[in-house]
Amino acid sequence: MIAFCLRRLAWLAITMWAVFTFTFVMVRVVPGGPFDRERPLAPEIRRNFERQYRLDRSYLEQYWGQLTDALRGDLGRCMRIGDYSVREVIALGLPISASLGLLALAFAVVAGLAVGVLSAVFRGSPLDILLRLAATIGIAVPNFVVAGVCIVLFVFLIPLFPAAGWGTLRQLALPAFCLGAPYAAYVARIARTSLLDVLGQDFIRTARAKGVSQRRVVFVHALRGALLPVVSFLGPAVAGIVTGSLVVEQIFAIPGIGVYFVSAAFLRDWTLSMGVVLLYTFLLYSMNFLVDVSYAWLDPRVQLS
Amino acid sequence: MAYRQTGWGWWLAAGALGAAVLFAVRTTRLPPADFTFVNGTEVKSLDPAIVTGQPENRLINALFEGLVRWGPETLEPLPAAAASWEVSADRLRYRFQLRPDARWSDGTPVTAADFLYSFRRFLDPRTAAEYAYQGWYVRNARRYSAGARGLRPGDRVEVELNRDPDDVNTLRGDMVRGVLAEVQDAAGRVVPADEWAAALAAPQTPLESWTFVVDRGGQRGRYRYADDAQAVAAPPAGVAWCRQVLLDFDEVGLKQLADDQLEFELENPTGYFLQLLGFYPLFPVNRRCVETHGAPQWTYPEHIVCNGPYVPQFRRLRDRTRLAKNDRYWDRDRVALRTIDVLAVESSTTALNLYLTDQADWIHEAPATALRALLDQQPPRDDLNPSTFLNTYFFLFNTRRPPLNDVRVRRALSLALDRSEIAERILAAGEQPAFSLTPPGIPGYDPPRCAAEDPAEARRLLAEAGYPEGRGFPALSILYNTHEAHRAIAELVRKQWQRGLGIVVKGRNEEWASYLSSQRQSNFDICRKGWIGDYADPNTFLDMYVTGGEQNNTGWGTPAYDGLIAAAARESDPQRRLALLADAERMLMDELPIVPVYFYVSKNLVKPHVRGFFNNIQDYHPLWALSLDRTRQSPNPFLRGRR
Repeated sequence: MIAFCLRRLAWLAITMWAVFTFTFVMVRVVPGGPFDRERPLAPEIRRNFERQYRLDRSYLEQYWGQLTDALRGDLGRCMRIGDYSVREVIALGLPISASLGLLALAFAVVAGLAVGVLSAVFRGSPLDILLRLAATIGIAVPNFVVAGVCIVLFVFLIPLFPAAGWGTLRQLALPAFCLGAPYAAYVARIARTSLLDVLGQDFIRTARAKGVSQRRVVFVHALRGALLPVVSFLGPAVAGIVTGSLVVEQIFAIPGIGVYFVSAAFLRDWTLSMGVVLLYTFLLYSMNFLVDVSYAWLDPRVQLS
Repeated sequence: MAYRQTGWGWWLAAGALGAAVLFAVRTTRLPPADFTFVNGTEVKSLDPAIVTGQPENRLINALFEGLVRWGPETLEPLPAAAASWEVSADRLRYRFQLRPDARWSDGTPVTAADFLYSFRRFLDPRTAAEYAYQGWYVRNARRYSAGARGLRPGDRVEVELNRDPDDVNTLRGDMVRGVLAEVQDAAGRVVPADEWAAALAAPQTPLESWTFVVDRGGQRGRYRYADDAQAVAAPPAGVAWCRQVLLDFDEVGLKQLADDQLEFELENPTGYFLQLLGFYPLFPVNRRCVETHGAPQWTYPEHIVCNGPYVPQFRRLRDRTRLAKNDRYWDRDRVALRTIDVLAVESSTTALNLYLTDQADWIHEAPATALRALLDQQPPRDDLNPSTFLNTYFFLFNTRRPPLNDVRVRRALSLALDRSEIAERILAAGEQPAFSLTPPGIPGYDPPRCAAEDPAEARRLLAEAGYPEGRGFPALSILYNTHEAHRAIAELVRKQWQRGLGIVVKGRNEEWASYLSSQRQSNFDICRKGWIGDYADPNTFLDMYVTGGEQNNTGWGTPAYDGLIAAAARESDPQRRLALLADAERMLMDELPIVPVYFYVSKNLVKPHVRGFFNNIQDYHPLWALSLDRTRQSPNPFLRGRR
């Protein structure tokens, strides 16, 4: 177990370094830089900008400087948001994206599992067909459409929720639903398939033969085994969902960090791009690690090695 | 065992969820502001010297105030921090008398020294002010902001010495003053005086490896550039480290005559100089505040000291900035709104949703997709009145590339454009077809127009240029930045040219940064561009196209045009100056290195109970002039001239 963790930790370091290097190169390869303007900057002003971000040095010096800074946890100042450092921008935005993401995730898991279990138990019934259709629609329809429809319905036609903003429970409902809906649909589909798979196995038949009630068979004996594929889907999904979504955050004007994954690249904010890419790498890696660990807990047959 | 683990896991999940909800609603319930508006993208900074852009313009104008401020309707310069001024007969000297009751938000008076400090800081290359060129009208300001690159042999200079790297980053180093005697390059060679200015001005010259020899009254000091962190190490023998070498600020045309008197001396009689002083880059900042907290911490709401009608109460990144009335503002009796929420909302559709659900009182840009429906409503909306302002959409032709180097081809392309079709089919807000680069509306200036649509003449010109019926005409592309309307316009223009001239062009889409990069390298045939005038004068449009101008990526240029622009800059008679600019624009519209397409319109939606909001040619709406009339008894001037 300890050896497993240590090995994973070493791979985390290697992965982060590789992603760092790749990002460092990529931002410099694409045309356009952080200090390009419609009217070009005067040379001396540009030089001072570059000096502030060490861009006047050789590539090797830039790379080494940024790498050692990053190792110390210093991600530098944003190039386009002048009053904040990358760490501050992440510290201000990540909790917002993460709390919205957790709500969306809770909705996705609860709704997704409920739908999945119902579908599996009533396999082939009209209810199953209806729920599977809903799940397919949830996956197929992009969330800006879901958001648009929700706004028309619940903001304008039936004014239940505010149009946008952040800070009250009512403001959370629509974005959490729109963010969570596609995940709920995936969870439902995965849960249904894997539950059907488990329900067909011998130990379930044994349990039924012993006279265990249907409810106990499904929720105690089958569901735990059926959760494995759901958990392995949720791991990477968590990393995606807590780092926010460009679309949902823009439509509902939520000050999270999802927007930066795109805007920092478009604005050639090299330092902020690096920050959010490293953050996402770290979260994705950690979540996959947690998934592996939780396998061992959910299924005693799995050995961590 | 495993059973207990899962149970524990559920508790953990529930706890995390509870924490997430609590975090999300943790902020104390705010009392609603008197007035809320959507400001677009989050502002880059609250420091007036280092920002550019419209959202910054709206916010900084609420916090700081220059010598003059613009009237809300006609944008005429009104007394602000300055109570009065005198202009010399040659229009080169402006003397300002400061207002005795102008106060910073900490209660200290706004003095001439504040303006001197702020202007120097604004020009200092270390401040890295993108808008530094807005100060270049002042004598020697351009040379000062160019740092060592602006120096010439024999100049009086100031050498800024290094400080401890841990000092507050806004403090200046100690100054050494003297005369620049000689310059040595990286190899230690004394650069001959006639070569040195050109070598220094070249951006690729590494200033760090050069040595500046300064004569301090017979004593010679040798200085070399170093960052504060590098300067901790001992310099090479006989050399001292310095942060930078600048022209002596005494050479710059801004003088403090008394505690409350200032005088600007200009390079040229700049007709719009007074107006420029009401533009935020030239606003003062509080020296004590800047030097106590350092940058950017001084701009934090808990530290910032302002002299405008409002102070920031708090700022939530990409959410909102709450402004409160500055009770020490000299004209506080005029300021009606006590609190204002400035929302950072990027999507114009979201902004519209907020506006329609009464969560915002003003949005500056209704989304184009909804505008047509909004404008078609019956009875007409009482909160929407698009009007033209200083913003033109045009195409650049790359005149270095054949066949666009032939003026007949450029004219043919312009004559074959059906601008009305573009304005009516694609644009929804009543945008006007453009036949000049300068939009209408600048007082005293009637922009000369290029020829209107004439397909027969277009075909004749194209045939004359060697492409009858478009035969043999190379395939050109129209470069545009990613945007639905730009794509649609490029597509329609493609059809118009194919229909009218029989030539084939195609669209080329690039996202903003790549598009800028292609534009700068003149890596295009035809390129879409939009330009908003920085000030209400034709010069802001016309001086872009002088030969080799920074933004002149067309490759076009003639000495006659350059001569007219330069003569206009020197002309002190306002009417004659505008006549020279009109001659220049006539030349531009005749040679057509650029082809105007349409004039943008403002797209403000303003709640009918808001007063003091006017359409004007800069689409600029000062917050100090706004008030509310919930009874809607008084007339609403915003709706004047509504279609």
